Amino acid sequence: MTLIIDHFGMSWVTVVWSMVAGACLTLAATYGLVWWWRRSAHGYALFALASLATAGVAACEWRMMHAETPAAYGLALRWMHLPGWVLVLALVGFVRVYLRAGRPWLAWAVCGMRTLSLIVNFVVTPNLNYRVITGLRQLPLLGEAVSTPVGVPSPWMIIGQASLLLMVLFVVDATRAVWRRGQHRQASLIGFSIVFFVSISTAQMILALWGVIHAPLTPSLFYLGIVAAMACELSLDVRRSADLMHELRAREQQYRTLFDRANDGIMLMTEDAVLISVNDAFARMHGYSTQEMLAMSLRDLDASESFRQVPERLRHILAGEALTFEVEHHHKDGHIFPLEVSASRIDSGGKSLIQSFHRDVSARRHADQELQQRRAELTHLSRAVMLGELSGSLAHELNQPLTAILSNAQAAQRFLARPQIDRQELQDILSDIVAADRHAGEVIRSLRLLLKKGEVLRQPLDVNAVVLEVLKLMRSDLLNHHVAIETQLAHDLPRVCGDHVQLLQVLLNLVMNASDAMAGHAPDQRRVHLTTERGPNQGVRVAVRDHGHGIPADSLERVFEPFFTTKPHGLGLGLVVCRSILLAHDGTLAAENHPEGGAVFHFSLP
Amino acid sequence: MTPPTIFLVDDEASVRTAIGRLLRAEGFEVTPFASPTEFLAAHDPAAPGCLLLDMAMPVLNGLDIQQALIERGSRLPIIFLTGRADVPMCAQAMKRGAADFLTKPVNDTDLLAAIRRALVQDYRTRQARAALDDIRSRIASLTPREREVLQHIVTGQLNKQIAADLGTVEKTIKVHRGRVMTKMQVTSVAALVHLVEQLGAGGSVVVQ
Repeated sequence: MTLIIDHFGMSWVTVVWSMVAGACLTLAATYGLVWWWRRSAHGYALFALASLATAGVAACEWRMMHAETPAAYGLALRWMHLPGWVLVLALVGFVRVYLRAGRPWLAWAVCGMRTLSLIVNFVVTPNLNYRVITGLRQLPLLGEAVSTPVGVPSPWMIIGQASLLLMVLFVVDATRAVWRRGQHRQASLIGFSIVFFVSISTAQMILALWGVIHAPLTPSLFYLGIVAAMACELSLDVRRSADLMHELRAREQQYRTLFDRANDGIMLMTEDAVLISVNDAFARMHGYSTQEMLAMSLRDLDASESFRQVPERLRHILAGEALTFEVEHHHKDGHIFPLEVSASRIDSGGKSLIQSFHRDVSARRHADQELQQRRAELTHLSRAVMLGELSGSLAHELNQPLTAILSNAQAAQRFLARPQIDRQELQDILSDIVAADRHAGEVIRSLRLLLKKGEVLRQPLDVNAVVLEVLKLMRSDLLNHHVAIETQLAHDLPRVCGDHVQLLQVLLNLVMNASDAMAGHAPDQRRVHLTTERGPNQGVRVAVRDHGHGIPADSLERVFEPFFTTKPHGLGLGLVVCRSILLAHDGTLAAENHPEGGAVFHFSLP
Repeated sequence: MTPPTIFLVDDEASVRTAIGRLLRAEGFEVTPFASPTEFLAAHDPAAPGCLLLDMAMPVLNGLDIQQALIERGSRLPIIFLTGRADVPMCAQAMKRGAADFLTKPVNDTDLLAAIRRALVQDYRTRQARAALDDIRSRIASLTPREREVLQHIVTGQLNKQIAADLGTVEKTIKVHRGRVMTKMQVTSVAALVHLVEQLGAGGSVVVQ
């Protein structure tokens, strides 16, 4: 090795110092680039600066050790202060930025004092450290002779050395804080190395420059130690990001599996509703392969009914709302099926995408329809049972007008057979026939409505009119049972939205129950009160009160349970159906006992 | 004699008017009532005619009225009108002597036939009653002695036997018998017996 070096005319000092500078420059270049890619990571920039400065210090030292005149030595020492200043500032900055520690005022004091020493260094001659350099002394180092100065030390250098001691203080304080935070590795690796190496190099400089010992200045070797410690810490960052990357891949794999194996259809699409990614379930429920689906748009899938709402929904989702709604999609084979969708926006690489989960709800919808049909059948059945009970009275109600019509018509035939025709009498007969026919027609219309298995039709209704219709239908029944009806109908009632037949059914049922509740009473005590009044929120409240024995307190809720009945031939379904009708109207039906006796059933409609 | 009246009771005004028209067109006298109580309040048992009554009415139903009339001793024939043919109700009404039982809506021929039958029945009842009243008034014109003689005559005794029973002479009985025959407006003993038998109960009425 010596032979090779000798052969090329190089010395060990040159080799070591160039290696130091080279190592530092490499680190500076590497982390400078890292910072260039991630501008927000200021720690990397400060580290690169510190490495660059250390290389600069090493270069100046090499110049000093190979100086041939005192002036050249002085000049090199003066310029060494420039990278030294950069290094101090970079280290202080690194501690503040990377370790997020250190008292700001101490940091400013260190930087200020160091800057002051730099200014003084370039103002006085030859430099901060010497008043005058009288000569050079050759000392042996690594088998060769290197220059060290002989001269009068300048008191100004106290500023520079004080700034270094202050920095030690700043770092010690910062390290303590970092240690207390529990970041022991950072505290020992960076804090300790800065304190240790800065202290040693400062001690060496104080002793050498004040002429206590005779030795060449080699701070770059110590600073290399700091740089190495910092590089070590930063390399842990690199390792950490490699770990993260690995973990990320594993996570992605997990999610990919979830995505692919999920029972729900999942898809990702652009703002323009073009599918980017779909899972197997999504493709399967539409009858396509995942590959086929990728080129498609939501427009190709959505059935026309639900497609009209797509722009509106997209706007909401892109505004950040998470929506759940039902849509209908085309299957590849042409049939249309219902889906429940939960969609939300996700941001990926600066772009907004829409992610949605799809569940085929055909089965559920089918079950819902079935349930609805059963409910309608039950409602109808209950109506039919009720009309069965009323049939005798209803027949009478129809017989009366029919009797009137028949007798009127037969009387008219006789009047017409007379030689003198009384036109007025005939007029009266005809208008009586018309009136009776109308009455019968109304009864029949109500009956047909009640017996029809019609669709539920919501329309604005006058509740009082329904009450009067019920009383018309039940007139004979109430007469037969000697039940008197007292009505108290508010005339300023708002109209409610409801199904005519179903409300008719509820009222019929309640009035029939009220009438039945008093069957055992003396005829003059059989009274039913029917009240309509304004309810809360523009609604209507209807109450049916009887004068029977009331309902035992523990049965007030049970009367709404299926098959609960007090009648010998009752099914126990009437009130169940009534309550379900009111619930479907967003209304309520409740029972209570009147303080003066008898039960009150009241319902509200919004 | 006043013409017969048809008393029409139905709570339904239209039915009242219509049936009333039909009956008037047939030449009947009709008096309508909206409720049974109204009818009972105004009812004169002496007025001839018949009652056309709706069965299904509040407060008092058809059967109640029938009962009330029987209690007052009125024999007014009742034709029931009903919306539904209820067998037990019909049977009960007929048992108590209802003239007829018709189902609404009722056809004119059925209704008129029933009314005519009822009126004939009423007429006959009243005729029979008038005849009995006549016999009773004739008996009432007899003296107590003549009534005793009458009683003995209808049992078929001869004047001599009667005289012995009553403790008098045959001649006196002969005079009594002549007066009885005159007052009772009969010429033969057979006719006299027939008259007394119409009063029923074997002529026991005569003694009272």
